[in-house]
Parts: sequence; C-alpha cells; structure tokens
Amino acid sequence: MTSKILHLIGGNADIGTSKTFWIGFVIAVILFALYPTQVSEFRASNASYYLLNIPLALGMALLWGYCGVLSFGHVAYFGIAGYTYGIIAGNMAGNSLGSIAGVLGGLLASAVVAGIFAYFVFYSRVREWIIPILTLVLTLLLETFLGQTAGYQWRVGSVLLGGYNGMTGIPSFQIGSFVFMGNSFYYFCMVIVLACYVGLRMLLNSKFGQVVTAIREDPLRTEVFGYDIRARQWLVFVLSALLAAISGLLYVQWGNYITPSQVGLLSAALPVIWAAVGGRTSLLAVLIATIVLNWVTFTLSSQGNQYAMVIIGTALVITMVFFPRGIVIMIAEWIGKLTNRKNTTVIR
Amino acid sequence: METDALALSLTYQFGTNAAFLFLAALGLIVILGMMNIINLAHGELMMMGAYVATITHNQLGLPFPLAVIVSFFAVAFFGAILELLIVRRFYGRELGALVVTWGISLILGQGTLLVFGPFMEAIKIPGGSYSYGGFSYSEYWLILIAISIALIAGLYWLYRYTNYGLQARATMQNAEMAKALGVPTNHVYTLTFSLGAGLAGLSGALLAPTSTIAPFMGQQFVAPAFITVVVGGAANVISGAVGSSVLLSAIKTPIGMAYGAFLGTVALLVASLIIIRIMPDGISAAIQKLMDRRRTRNTK
Repeated sequence: MTSKILHLIGGNADIGTSKTFWIGFVIAVILFALYPTQVSEFRASNASYYLLNIPLALGMALLWGYCGVLSFGHVAYFGIAGYTYGIIAGNMAGNSLGSIAGVLGGLLASAVVAGIFAYFVFYSRVREWIIPILTLVLTLLLETFLGQTAGYQWRVGSVLLGGYNGMTGIPSFQIGSFVFMGNSFYYFCMVIVLACYVGLRMLLNSKFGQVVTAIREDPLRTEVFGYDIRARQWLVFVLSALLAAISGLLYVQWGNYITPSQVGLLSAALPVIWAAVGGRTSLLAVLIATIVLNWVTFTLSSQGNQYAMVIIGTALVITMVFFPRGIVIMIAEWIGKLTNRKNTTVIR
Repeated sequence: METDALALSLTYQFGTNAAFLFLAALGLIVILGMMNIINLAHGELMMMGAYVATITHNQLGLPFPLAVIVSFFAVAFFGAILELLIVRRFYGRELGALVVTWGISLILGQGTLLVFGPFMEAIKIPGGSYSYGGFSYSEYWLILIAISIALIAGLYWLYRYTNYGLQARATMQNAEMAKALGVPTNHVYTLTFSLGAGLAGLSGALLAPTSTIAPFMGQQFVAPAFITVVVGGAANVISGAVGSSVLLSAIKTPIGMAYGAFLGTVALLVASLIIIRIMPDGISAAIQKLMDRRRTRNTK
C-alpha cells in the first residue's frame, strides 16, 4: 500500500524522480518552513502572497500543460470564490463556523459555474482556440458586472459588493477560535500548496492522469481507444477551477479585500504567464516560476516601477519565441545532462 | 405613429449594433480564416488605430477621413512587421500563437500608457443628429453602417476578383497544395495578417469618436469582437462576419434596449454558448454546409 502511494508520488509525470531530487525537495520544504523565523512578519506575509498563487498556477499547468486545454479566464473562478467567501463569511461574522461555510460556498460556487461553462464547450467539441476566447470573455464580463456594483442597492445581507473599490473587511480564516494570520497563515498556505502539489502529482501518475496526458497528445486516438474524452476534459476543467478557487479563497483571507481588477485582463494574464515561463508540462517548474515571477513583479512594483507589465509581457513573448517549453524545464534538463544521469525525465 | 417611431428606432439600434460588432470583429476574422490563429492583440491594434487617427486629426490637423486612411496603413505596416518577426513562428501552434499575441497586447497597452499617458483628447463626433418621434439618430452612426456595407462589398471584391484573393482562398483551402502550385504562401500570410491588422486599425479609428481615447480602450472591443468571431467561425470570412454580427445584433438589440447594455453583452455570451452547442464551427460553416447540400441536390 505504502509502496503504491510512493510510486504514485514519485512517478515520472513531473520532473525530478531521483533520490537526489527528493533529498533536495525535502531540504527546500524545510528551508521554506524556517523562512518566517528568520525574517520580519511583513516579509513572511509577502511570501504568503507568493505561495497562495500557486494552486491557481498548478491548475493552469494541469489544464493547459497536461490536458492541452488553454484557459485565459481562470481568474474568474478565483474571483467567484473570493467574493462568495466574502459574502458568506461577512454575513456570519462573529460565528466561528462562518469562514468554513465561506470556504465551502466559494468552492461550490466556482465548481458550479465552471461545470456549466465546461459542459457547453467540451460537449460541443468546439475547436481548440474557442475555449481560451470564451473563458476570457467570461472573466471580462464578470469584471464589468462587479465594477458596476457600487452603492447600497448592491448589498447581500450586510456585505457590500463595493463596485470598483471592491469588497473590504473580509474575515480571515479561522478554526474554532484560532485565527490564521501572519506566520500561522504562512504555514497554512504552505501546507495547502504542498497538498496540492503532491495530490496533483499522484493524480497525474495515476491511470486517470495518463489518459489526460494522452488526450493532450492525440484526442482522436484516445477516443478511439474507448475513453470518453469529453467527460475527462470536463472533470479536469472543473478541478483546475477548484484550484483557482483555493487561491481566491486564500487571497481574500490574506488581504481581507478583493477588487474587480482581480478578474480583469491584466490579472487573467498572470497565471498563463507563470505556466508558460516555467514550463507548463511540469508542475514543479510552474510552481518555481510562480514564486520567482511573483517576487519579481512585487519587487518591481513596490519600487514604483511602471514597466512591470511591459517586462512581464516581454518575458512572455521571449519565452514563447525562444523557449517554447519553458525556462525552468530547460534549466532542469540542463542540470540533468550536467550530472550525466537520468535525473530528469524528458517530457514534451 | 408611436409604433412607427419605435420600430424605426429599433431598426436603427439593430443597425448600429450590427455595424459595431462587424467593425470590431472584421480584422480578427480575416486573420483567423486564413491562418487559424486568433490575434489576442486585436484590441490593442484597434487602440493603435484610434491613437493614430487622434494624433493625425487633432494635432496634425488632417481631415478625419484622411486620418482614418492613415490609420489603416500605419497599423497594417505594424502588423506586417509583427508577422515577420513573431507571429510567423507560430503557424500550426494555435495555442502558442494565442499566448504570444497576448504578450504583445500587454506590451502595447502598458507601453502606450507610459508614452502617451492615461488620457488623450477625444475626437469630436462628426456630423449632427436627427430626431424623429422622440428618438434621436446620430448621423455618424448612419455613416458607419454605410461604411460597414461598403467594407463587405470591398472584401467580396478583394477575395473574389483579385489575384491576392484567389491565392488567399487557395491557401485557406489547402496551404500545401497551393504552395506546390506556386502560390507564395508565406507572402500571402504576411499580406493577410497585415490586412487584418490594418482593418483593426481602420475600425479603431472609425470607432474612436464614439469612445474615450485611452491605452486600455482596446479592452472594450475584446469581448464583443471575440464573441462575434466565435459565433461566425472561420469557414468563410464574409459570411462569418456578416452572419454573426447580424444574428448577435438581433439578440443584443432588444435585450440591451429593455435591460441595459451590460445584460445585452451577457446575452451575447449566453447566445454564443448556445449557438456553438448547435453549430460548433460557427455560422459560416453552417451556411457552407447548407449551400453544399443545395448544390448537390441541384446537380442530381
């Protein structure tokens, strides 16, 4: 039983299968765990922000990198979950079960919207390029809708939607009377990110994951083998929307606010950029790229640098033109070649 | 009298909505039909057209029609450069092309903000307006409807009667075969991308007086343009663009009039989801199929 689970985790659906890799992985986890003890609470809080974006990015890797379906609008599910949490937890403020109800409600709301949307696109068997376009349109409409919800008529219970200024005063996450803030929130994010990463790796090494990868490689052939590709694409889409929802929930619990620009065009670009720059066919590469790019963007914009978006856009264009498989994957393969062992599985 | 005025106003609204959708989607659908790639920088190319028109008209004092023509050529030139440098590498990799054009759109949008600042003096809307039975009609929008019809005719002529059109249609049907028969397909691709970009610039310039001129103005065209293209499909440029802008306008006009512009756009998205559920390849493919069936019936 244990060996089966270990095999699922260590399988070759992602880069890094050797013993050296796993030793390095454990060391990295320990270093991340020690980080808040060495720096100020402010920097630990920034690091929580980099971490909380990872589930969204992993969802993009799952959907785009492994299943071959591109979505430009996964921030819509991020936003839906965030707003739903804000409404439910805000109305139940004072009740210790409020934030758990908010989390469940947020996940459910995102899954329902994603499920309906995915039914239409996958069961119509639309062309490849239509899905990114429609997901983008959906998220832009959501932004327009949320942007015009200023004023008292847009109130759910005691919570104001707030128009372009967004929803404020969203409660932090709490279990019982323990509120996750500062360092405890950092560890909370870390546990969730680890669970998402290991869970996805197990999923992708399983038979289901292999079929999903086969759909990316050749949908027609996979279907002729007798697999219902529409149902699997639908499931992967909903799953990745749930991952986006997790990020959205963590975001509102971290900053206690959310604005419509979180589902706008610029925010929608970010997950795609993380996945493309890292290398969408590897969960770990996307994870690393998410942390690094978030750190770069944050550092640039906190210095008042207006070129952040231009730099990020240029990074995307350069990656797509010169390193279409992703920069982190290329580096990983280069290291693998250098140590002259089959440390890294070459994946397309 | 009352119903007359309402019917006339509805027709006018229908016409303006259809013209808007047609203009917003035209450049996109020209590129899609040929190369099977979606240019996500489309909104930014429209924004460029609007900026070129604004600068040449407001600051250099060119008459507006001339400024529109200048925008067409300026953006077409930019499109040709874009194709030669970047887009060319992505033929056959549709999703890669989507992502890279998105990167370009980020650079263009933010770059414009840095160079020209957040606002620009808008172009005064040319022409006056009529009013009849309590509804008003803008002269400029009537001109835009006329221009849309002229563009349809012009494109039909271009694809049907010119050498470029013949080569373009051949490349669309079967690029390998066309190449084997001596059609310079690379050249056709560059020209088509440039034409699509130029049409985006032209539409941007034409719609500039009806909108505020700002670096992210392209975003307002993104949703309607893409829905129109998704519904229209890529089997035939003209029937796709015309068919879907007319159909979507027929959906948007009554709902927008009764419930406001936002719900009109939501109706567009819902309609497009239902339409692609019925016709996954869009209206143009459905029309094509219908015509093929009729043709085979006639030959029997």
